[in-house]
Amino acid sequence: MRYKLLTVDDSKTVRIIVKKAFKLYDCEILEAGNGVEGLAVAAKEKPSLILLDITMPVMDGVEMLTKLKSDPELKGIPVIMLTAEGGRDNVLKIAKIGVRDYMVKPFKEDVLIQKVGRIIDLKPISESPTKAKSIFDAANILVVEDKPAIFRQIQTGLEHTPWKVHGVATTGEAIDSCDQTPVDLIIISLSLPEQAAFTLFRVLRSNLKTKYTPIFGLVVKTDTAMQSQGQQMGFTALVTKPLDVPELESKIARAMNLDTSERYFRTTENTLIMQLPKNCTSHVINEAQTHLKGKIANAIDAGIGQMIFDLNEVTRLDMAAIKLLISAMQACREVTLRFAILGSESLAEECQGYEDTHGWQFHETMEAAEQALSGAPGELVGSAGS
Amino acid sequence: MPIAENLPDLLLEETVNRAVSDVFSTMLSTDAVPVSSIDLGKALILDAPHVVGTVGFIGEMKGLIYLYFREDFAEKCARDMLSMTTQELIEAGEDVINDAVGEITNMTVGTFKNQLADRGSPCRLTIPSIMRGSHFHVEPIREASRRVFRYKIQDHLLTVDLMMQPGE
Repeated sequence: MRYKLLTVDDSKTVRIIVKKAFKLYDCEILEAGNGVEGLAVAAKEKPSLILLDITMPVMDGVEMLTKLKSDPELKGIPVIMLTAEGGRDNVLKIAKIGVRDYMVKPFKEDVLIQKVGRIIDLKPISESPTKAKSIFDAANILVVEDKPAIFRQIQTGLEHTPWKVHGVATTGEAIDSCDQTPVDLIIISLSLPEQAAFTLFRVLRSNLKTKYTPIFGLVVKTDTAMQSQGQQMGFTALVTKPLDVPELESKIARAMNLDTSERYFRTTENTLIMQLPKNCTSHVINEAQTHLKGKIANAIDAGIGQMIFDLNEVTRLDMAAIKLLISAMQACREVTLRFAILGSESLAEECQGYEDTHGWQFHETMEAAEQALSGAPGELVGSAGS
Repeated sequence: MPIAENLPDLLLEETVNRAVSDVFSTMLSTDAVPVSSIDLGKALILDAPHVVGTVGFIGEMKGLIYLYFREDFAEKCARDMLSMTTQELIEAGEDVINDAVGEITNMTVGTFKNQLADRGSPCRLTIPSIMRGSHFHVEPIREASRRVFRYKIQDHLLTVDLMMQPGE
């Protein structure tokens, strides 16, 4: 649902500033120049929230607020006073009529956004909502950990990624860091002193800048009580120590909704290539399997007629990887996509030893694989062994 | 002689300084450095085209505060406050500059009078108005006291003209 914010102020300047402040959020700004106009717009549009000035011509803010609160259809609309009229007595008098908050001008835009964000669930507008971010795009990850060795493990483990990993040791530094630089994901050690991780989690969730940022809890594998506390609190995911870096990387990619397919699949002019990395962990296999059928369908749709399984980096194949390849070959057969396997001689020899793979034909170079495919028009190159 | 019995000159100066400083630091992210404070019995002389914002306050104290901006300073304030380019400001017209000066004046006088209210002198604000020109002067009625404060804001000078007397 797109929220509607009504700003009622005789100053066009204030209305422009309000409009500008919320332009990055998914909400529509309605404007009125005095209380009479404000009531008319409120009745017609039923805004989610009203920002109301006091000193205005025609009808001032106090009169508008009084009329609003006496109208059964409008009295539920939350109102924030945004006015140069401060002073304790003034504020108390208006609070009695019924306002959700009170801001005295001059005001900072981010304070206004915070106050509105406490009443309605403001969501930032995604710059490109239809295009998922890729695994190869840069991202900022903040690690809140008071043990330098653990931070270094994370930083070193993720250094092959385009992600910038930044570390702080205290909650205060974490809050400052999030205020200064947009963060894509936060990892907090749950073993910070005095339950500071949980306090920090609450603070970050109440801040609009980090309200929707994925937050991971970092916890010792055997500390089930702490893990349970983290889950109840609502951490996006828990990462256990000792660290399994590939697992962490996979969780980060999922939490940031990154398109990981480019890590395994690419296309040339007429070939779809599936490339498996050196370590085919269960996360790798799962990710590749997830994208497999979609990538084959896209390739067919784009007029691509052949596929190469690039296993050049793979040193040994386990059952999970073999099952992935068998399922990929089956998917190719179903759509008559020719395929070939690229891999080392030692891997080929290893495959001869298994029933499921002993018939697989390997090519040592990409050119050889492509040549094999072009030399066998209409036929499937390589055998699934069954 | 103090401008009001419960507001010694030094406190008045601090109150005005705080009001100007709060508005310019919050809305325009810039410092307003006090340059002078004078008890002025005569009219202010303008040396160039100015945009002047006025807001009154009525209550236990009553008065008017004028903020004098040279035209180029008024344009800069409007541009900065609304994040507009010079071209956008030209297209938006004089009304936008007037409105921005009016709002800066409104916020300044509001902050000033809120401090009075917290010291036990509640007042209400009037709606801002704008004057433009190079050849005019404002004179207070005989009963009113007047103070003129000047502030350096980046390379510009802001003049704040306060006229005040006890209210009803």
